[in-house]
Amino acid sequence: MQLFLQDLVPIPLRDKVNASRSDIWKRERTFNQGNCIFIQAPSGTGKTTLIHMLYGIRKDFSGMLHWDTYNIASISKDDLSQLRAMHVSVVFQDMRLFPELTTWENLEVKRLLTNSVAAEDVERWLQRLGLGDKKDSLAGTLSYGEQQRVAIIRALVQPFEWLLMDEPFSHLDKANTDLAIALITEVVQMNRAGMILADLDDNDHFFYTQKIAL
Amino acid sequence: MAALVALCIGTTLLLLSVMIWWNFQELLNGKSDDSDSLGSSFLTISKNVTDAKMGKPQLTIFSSNEIEEMRYAPEVQDVGVLTSNRFNVYATLNSALNFSTDMFLESVPDRFIDKKPVDWYWQPSNREVPIILSTEFLNLYNYGFAVSKGLPQLSESSIQALGFDLKVGEGDLQQTYRAHIVGFSDRIASVLVPDSFMAYGNRVFGHNAFSEPTRLIVKVKDPSSKAFVQYLQTNDYTTNAEQLRWSKLRSIVEVVTGATGLLAVLLMALGALVFILFIELTIARAQQSITLLLQIGYAPGYLSRFMIKKFFPLLLATAVISMGIAVLVQMGIANWIKVMHLSLPAYPGWPVYVALAVSTLILLSLVAVSIVRAIRNTD
Repeated sequence: MQLFLQDLVPIPLRDKVNASRSDIWKRERTFNQGNCIFIQAPSGTGKTTLIHMLYGIRKDFSGMLHWDTYNIASISKDDLSQLRAMHVSVVFQDMRLFPELTTWENLEVKRLLTNSVAAEDVERWLQRLGLGDKKDSLAGTLSYGEQQRVAIIRALVQPFEWLLMDEPFSHLDKANTDLAIALITEVVQMNRAGMILADLDDNDHFFYTQKIAL
Repeated sequence: MAALVALCIGTTLLLLSVMIWWNFQELLNGKSDDSDSLGSSFLTISKNVTDAKMGKPQLTIFSSNEIEEMRYAPEVQDVGVLTSNRFNVYATLNSALNFSTDMFLESVPDRFIDKKPVDWYWQPSNREVPIILSTEFLNLYNYGFAVSKGLPQLSESSIQALGFDLKVGEGDLQQTYRAHIVGFSDRIASVLVPDSFMAYGNRVFGHNAFSEPTRLIVKVKDPSSKAFVQYLQTNDYTTNAEQLRWSKLRSIVEVVTGATGLLAVLLMALGALVFILFIELTIARAQQSITLLLQIGYAPGYLSRFMIKKFFPLLLATAVISMGIAVLVQMGIANWIKVMHLSLPAYPGWPVYVALAVSTLILLSLVAVSIVRAIRNTD
């Protein structure tokens, strides 16, 4: 699946975008499946806005944003859920788990939607990220670091061609970050997927094919 | 919960009002033989005896043409002939009391008798003749004759226990029968014997040349109908106008059921509105979860179906409870109305089920639409 952007401008950030230089805003860009993109974005440049626009949560933009034939500006609700369930997965900056469900239930809600990953695999991934004993804890009671790891696993329990990540390791220490990176790398390769990671500071968590400034 | 109770009350009221309407229809148009139906009135019709007709009894008889014509008169459902005796009848009430009198008898087809006693039959070999007496005659005796003459007043059962002799015919052709009063009629002001006895008596003992009847009994759907009254006037027929009071009652009943129905529809609409608001409130409360489910890839259609599956059983349970109440009420009414010598089916009739089906379908579609819309509007 190919991502195509042209003259993209988020309407609330129009003035700011016009005043500064960006590799994304107001440009024409094409990202091919399998690309590993890092977007460096200092605070306030619209990093989360961009991720939300790519994921179809925000439509208050001008310009073109296409995932293959899916045009985000005019996509129907059913197509959007299809895109999210089968093609593009996301790790939100604010995690967005169901606080009243347990860790395991949060993952099952996502897993059962497509049933493309075995429950045993998910259980193993939980162990790998050190969450084996948090399986039955309510997500609302988990620490941010734990929630972030659950959110990462949740993003992996579906088929995807692109993985979007918005500051995915912001609450993790070095050791846990490395564990997460290893898991993500493995699953992304398994899916032959591309990835877009947006963060504040430069890093070399993955072998990026492109580094872009927002 | 409150929404469900409101809905349940609304649905139950709707069903009850349909049931009341249907029950009245059953009573008004009922065709059961063993009970009175309010709908059809039985009128005895005769020709007016005017000054000009006095002394000419052949002018007050009904010809077979006129009887046939009556069958097709407006509102008329059935016509029967009141046959009177053409032989002498002399009754002796008890030799000890020494009360005896000349009398007359009449007979009508059995289907016109309001309360037909079990032993209402006669065949030529029988020495006993059953008689149905008009309740009015008993009242005349009890409150008029007995009081003024200082005779004992008689209850219906004591009269039924009394037997008396009927001397029929005259001269060589005379026969004495034992007569028993077996029942009372509110409908026909006469002394009735079975048709078979009358036919036999007229054939064997009869002397009078007139064979045509002077009185007819007519089953009329709505005696207050203008067309029917017009018909009577045109032909110079006369009837007991007292019967017409039912028709007034009938129009009152129709107004009352109409008003109840309107109220029930309003209440049901109110119940449905409360329930839909309850659903919207539930969805609004679950807004965050629904938004998140949509964000992780659930389709709006799937979520709508999930919600519908969650709410529909509640609605169906409400419908079942309402139907249960309606059935119980109907059984109660059927029981209660027996005391009044009226009869109704023990279970609600088809209009009640139709009302339930239609109202439930409308409700389910309203709820489905509001769920789908609420989820579509969630981002």
